[in-house]
This record gives sequence, C-alpha cells and structure tokens, in this order.
Amino acid sequence: MNESYRDKPAIVLEGVTKAFRRNQVLAGETFTVERGKTFAFLGRNGAGKTTTIRMLLGLLMPDSGKMRVLDCDPATDPIEVRRHVGYLAEDQQMYGWMTVDEILRFVAPFYSTWDHDLALKYVREFDLPLNQKIKTLSKGQNVRLGLVLALAHRPELVILDDPALGLDPVMRRQFNRDLISHLQGEGRTVFYSSHLLYEVEPVADEVAILHEGRILRQADTETLRRDVKQFVLPTDLIPRVRDEFALLDSQTHREETVVTVENAAAVAALLQREGLEHRVVELNLDEIFEAYVAGDPKARRATTTEEQEAVES
Amino acid sequence: MFLRIEKGSAVPISKQIEQQIATRCAAGTLKPGERLPSVREMARQLSVNQNTVLRVYERLVRDLILEMRQGQGTFVAADAQFRATSGHRERLIEELRQLSRQALGLGLTNEEIHQLLDAALEQLRSLNNSSSISTSKQTKEVTS
Repeated sequence: MNESYRDKPAIVLEGVTKAFRRNQVLAGETFTVERGKTFAFLGRNGAGKTTTIRMLLGLLMPDSGKMRVLDCDPATDPIEVRRHVGYLAEDQQMYGWMTVDEILRFVAPFYSTWDHDLALKYVREFDLPLNQKIKTLSKGQNVRLGLVLALAHRPELVILDDPALGLDPVMRRQFNRDLISHLQGEGRTVFYSSHLLYEVEPVADEVAILHEGRILRQADTETLRRDVKQFVLPTDLIPRVRDEFALLDSQTHREETVVTVENAAAVAALLQREGLEHRVVELNLDEIFEAYVAGDPKARRATTTEEQEAVES
Repeated sequence: MFLRIEKGSAVPISKQIEQQIATRCAAGTLKPGERLPSVREMARQLSVNQNTVLRVYERLVRDLILEMRQGQGTFVAADAQFRATSGHRERLIEELRQLSRQALGLGLTNEEIHQLLDAALEQLRSLNNSSSISTSKQTKEVTS
C-alpha cells in the first residue's frame, strides 16, 4: 500500500454483482465512500447489506464488478485490507469463556499495529470489566467490547455491520455518542449498516439506500429531505403534470392523489408556475426510506423507462 | 446549554438545532458575547455528527446571530436578539397561516378564529401571572 491511496476514496464499488445459486443478491451495486465520512448503509433485511460487507473484507468474492477498499482489491489482497480495517460483525460472537482481558491478549497478535494501551484506554472509557467473562456481559457491553477489538489496531476504516441491532434506546444513544467521540472525533472513515433510520440521521454524513441488490440513492440526509417530498393534488390534475414527476410512489384516494417524488423543488416550481392547487408534505427519513423500498414499484418503473426514453431520444 | 433533538421528526436535525439556538437568542437566554460550546463539545453533548453542528454554526454566523472569532470560538453576536427575532417572526407568520388554513378547513368563520386566538392569549396571560416567579427562577438556573 503506497501513499497515493490517501487521496482516493475509502471505498469504491462499481457494478458489483453476486448470486448464490439462482438467488441474485447484488445486481450491479455502485457507490463511493469518501475518506473521513460516516456513511450509513441502509436496507431492509435481505437487501444485501451483509453480503456487501463480507465482500468489502474479502470474505466473499463478487461475480463481477470492481471493488476498492483503501485502494486495495479485497478479492486479491484480503490480508492487506483487513490490516487497515476494523470490523464489527453483525451479532458478533466471541469466546464466552474468555475474560475481557484474555480476549484482548488473544486478538492482539493478529495485528502488527495493535496498540494495547489504546485498547485498555477504550476498556476504561467504555466501563468494561476487564476480569469478567464475556458470556456474562450485557448486550451493550458486548457491542462495546466488539468496538474495542475493532479499533485497537488504529484502523483507517471501520466497518460495522448493524451495530445497533438488539440494543435498547439508551444503549443506542450511548453507542452513537461513542461513534461521535471515538470515531468521527479521530477523523476515521466509518461505514455502518442499519435499518434504524431515525438513529442514523443524527450521526451519518451520508446515507445509501440498498434495495434488491442496487443502490437506489446515495445522498446526505438534508439533500434527501429537500428532494423527496409528498404532494397532495386533485386527481384530475395528475395527467397534466405527471410527466414532470420523478415518481417514487403514488396513491389515489378518490378525488385526491398523494404522490411522492424525488425532484420536489422542480415539482413545487411547476405547480406554482401553473397555479395548481396542492399541499406539500415534508417527510421524515423513515418515510423517505419507505417510499424508496416499499413505494409503488409500478410508478417507479414507469418513470424510469420514461426517463430512459427521454435520454435515448 | 440544553437542546432537545427530536429523532424521526419531519424537521431536519440541523434545522432543529438552528431554531433552538436562535430561539434562545431571541428570548435573551443566550446573551450577546456569550461563548457557545465548541463544535466538538456540542456534537458530543447532543450525539450529533460534528459536520452537522458545524453547518448549523456557519448558518447562524451567516445570519449574523453568531460570530466566530479566530482561535477563540463561537460567540453570540452583538445584535443577535434583533436578528433572531425577525427570523422568528417569519416562521411564526407561516405557522399562523397553516393554522388558519386548518381552522377554515374545519368550517370556522374568521370571527370564530379570532375568538379562539383571544381565548388562547387570555389563558397564557393568567398562567404567566400565577407562575411568573417560578419561571424567572427557572430561567436563571438554565443560564447559569
């Protein structure tokens, strides 16, 4: 690994595909994570989050496409990748019969850059009992121990697979604080998956929404909120304006139709210009996520083909 | 400084923080020349991304409510109260407009809407009279 990789993004995926037998899990996944950013990777269960993460670490090979992690190819150079990446697996199981102190000593030799003083400092800051057996730790303590193990070799990139899974609200808040003071504060790149959007919003610089093996949208949360809004219109007006919508979802309730679009500014300007009666509804992040992954796919596909035709003509 | 972040709200987090700081400046609980927590401190206190806090501070500086002094930190600007109050007023007008629309939608007449507002103001007045002593005490505790 040479010095020039520092100018490059922390993670790049281009058109990555992966199938398990006839099950196409990733279907051309493309996204970029810039250095020093906290990046939240969102998707429903089974969307392909864990598969992606396992590929980033070189634990699974993609069928096709390009991947770079800290400017290395995890498929051909997994050891080099793992040397510079801290990883916390989903529901990470550690040897329950070991004490906290024992597992630190057990893991340390795997990393040439392991900093034992730093590990002990995290243990103190996270209030972890050094001489207690792992099987007696609470769920929250388990996640924090996992973080200590992921961080003590001073990785540049930290990959966390659904770290908030199974944590209660108090522990989730504590975890967010840990993330902010110990990871963002030290300028590390953080890539973490989650399905709890309202937990992700305060912490993430950027989010990406993964659905059926593709990234539907990558943006910072404020841009997402600005772009994705709902408009309530009289149903008979829809045909007049429909072509201008980048539609995610559309529901008709008799004389009123509720459309969710991802070009809110343009739609608002159009309705204003035409003097058409309407109401705007601001959405929270959960509703935006839902519009992307559970919205009316017919509506979405219709606009996509129209867009393609527009591009082609 | 105590700020409350509502998760899952339709109001973006940065907007929430921005409005709460501006409100405190408008109310005078944050006084001109007062130093705000550093971006890092504030981020930790609120469990919010540092870049979000930085963006909020920058916007408030642009609106002349806060000022950044090289190497010293971020402070409440001299005429913050005036600036924050006028921004507040616009928001209030928008909220009143929405409220009026709702009321008209429910079939209330203009007269009835005015009556409701009068009644609400009257309620506040009597509340304030009975609890003005304890409120001023609380304000002191918050600012200290």
